[in-house]
Amino acid sequence: MAVKTQRMEDFRLEAEPYYLPLGNEVELFQAAYAAHLPVMLKGPTGCGKTRFVEYMSWKLGRTLVTVGCHEDLTASDLVGKYVLRGDETVWQDGPLTTAVKAGGIAYLDEVVEARKDTTVVIHPLTDDRRMLPLEKKGEVIKAPDEFMLVISYNPGYQSVLKDLKHSTKQRFVALDFDYPLPDAEETIVMQESGVDAETAGKLVKIAAKVRNLRTHGLEEGVSTRLLVYAGQLITGGVEPTVACEATICRPITDDLEMQRSILELVNTQF
Amino acid sequence: MSTQGGPAGNLNVGIYVGHEMLAAVPEDRRDDYLRMVKEISDLKYQLGVEVARQLPRLFEERDDAAIERYLDQVREIAKIGWKSGVEVARQLPDLYHAPDATLADAYVEIVADATMGAPEDDETAGYAAELDTLDQKLRAIEPMHQRQQELKSLLATRDRRDERRRKNAQELAAALPPILARLRPRHREVYLRAVRRVAAADPEAALEAANTLLEVLNSERLSHDGAAEWTRRGLEVLEKNREVGRGYFRMGSKFSLQVLEELREGLALRQVARVLKLYATALSGRDVAVRGLDEMDTVDRFGPDHIILPSDMRFFKDDDRNFTAYKVAAAHGAARIEFGTYRFQLDDVPDTVAALTDRYGMVPR
Repeated sequence: MAVKTQRMEDFRLEAEPYYLPLGNEVELFQAAYAAHLPVMLKGPTGCGKTRFVEYMSWKLGRTLVTVGCHEDLTASDLVGKYVLRGDETVWQDGPLTTAVKAGGIAYLDEVVEARKDTTVVIHPLTDDRRMLPLEKKGEVIKAPDEFMLVISYNPGYQSVLKDLKHSTKQRFVALDFDYPLPDAEETIVMQESGVDAETAGKLVKIAAKVRNLRTHGLEEGVSTRLLVYAGQLITGGVEPTVACEATICRPITDDLEMQRSILELVNTQF
Repeated sequence: MSTQGGPAGNLNVGIYVGHEMLAAVPEDRRDDYLRMVKEISDLKYQLGVEVARQLPRLFEERDDAAIERYLDQVREIAKIGWKSGVEVARQLPDLYHAPDATLADAYVEIVADATMGAPEDDETAGYAAELDTLDQKLRAIEPMHQRQQELKSLLATRDRRDERRRKNAQELAAALPPILARLRPRHREVYLRAVRRVAAADPEAALEAANTLLEVLNSERLSHDGAAEWTRRGLEVLEKNREVGRGYFRMGSKFSLQVLEELREGLALRQVARVLKLYATALSGRDVAVRGLDEMDTVDRFGPDHIILPSDMRFFKDDDRNFTAYKVAAAHGAARIEFGTYRFQLDDVPDTVAALTDRYGMVPR
């Protein structure tokens, strides 16, 4: 199968992503963009951070390069490296370099998961220098005004060993995210999954109850994303309790008693 | 060698008669030979062995009179003393061939006199008679002696069993207090009655029963009636077979588990307490503790963050519906906690009146 090379334009969102503002996060983000400040999104898994960045990139008319960070991600993976192509050794830009050059939005999702050496390339981009050193090429790229760096991380499950250093944290404008309030979450579930208001209301009630267990053995509560999944399965004809068991009970815990108690909450609603 | 076939086949003289001995006897006389050996060996085994060795040479000579004479003389001496008879049986065939034909008879007479000795005197006859009487008496009491030995053996077995029982009772005495300390007070009466019954039957089984009953009662797996019935059935097993009975009380037998399952009533709170706690915590948003009714002496029934539930739920026959009953009770408790039913304090009444007045206007008189 031939590999299709993606152009930068492919990263531009044509259609408006659905996003329901929950506070003043849109205005704050716009202000940060105007002031050329990097932004850090904090919040639990599945609460809408990525969707917010997508929405903002569409709203600002910028391309969006998203990098899902992981423990093997190095600075070279971000900025680029020399690769063998035929008889030649050629330089290939990494996603961060691509975003800088294109004046887009670089979104490093769960940045705390990446290797520590990535901070070396992030720091110069986040202060007033706004530059990206390409050490292997011996070059420095000056970020255009349109470029913006956004990172996200989930403070809920970071350990002491895996937390952002203060020297990194204090370079960003931080926007806190949490699960939406019930009415808003209901609207989101309806919009994203196509379920009716009553079903969406029940799903949101279940989520609210399950989130009460966060300090009782659950690392995280049910995300809005999982509620949307549940709604999508229900819309697809899956029986509600079965859909909830598959999308709510099982993904968030392996503790059988915890799963059963959550299932009982589901049974209370459906 | 053993004899096979023919009349000789029925004579068990194979151990005396070697192959070469039988081969030396003319074929038509072999049955006679074997019969004679058998007859003499019935008197004494050693005699049979010697006669079996000597007879073939007499048969070879085909002198039936000599054979008859030989056997008569051997029998004669053997009656007096079998050891002399063996020696005579060995020597006689040679003497038959001596030049003086009377020599053999004289030899036999000398040996007979020498073996027999002088006629018994009165004293010896008296000893013999007394000995004979004692022998008769001893034979008469032989069954009593055998019974005496049986009784000794029986009592020794029982002594060993009693010793083991005392040892097990001692172990039970040491083990019971810590077990009793863990027993919930409300189970004490039924527990003690059951353990006492088993201990009277078998202390070793009682030690097993003490542990098992503690577990099933404290965990509410059995009601008091169920525990008594489980014990009764175990005692029946114990009566038939001690080892199997001990296994029953150890809960180590399939039957024991079957009886337990059969007698189990309702759903024990302990089995579902954590699920209910999580359920109530999720519903109320408060850290709820679920307690059994049997813990009433240690908790405040109307405490702000715990739900008191029955230790077992027996409204329905199946666990699912009993769990639903628990769920209803837990949801009710969670609602009480969430909305603060028991947070009301008389001291707060004035403030409450003021707050209600502010909210709803003056309370009509």
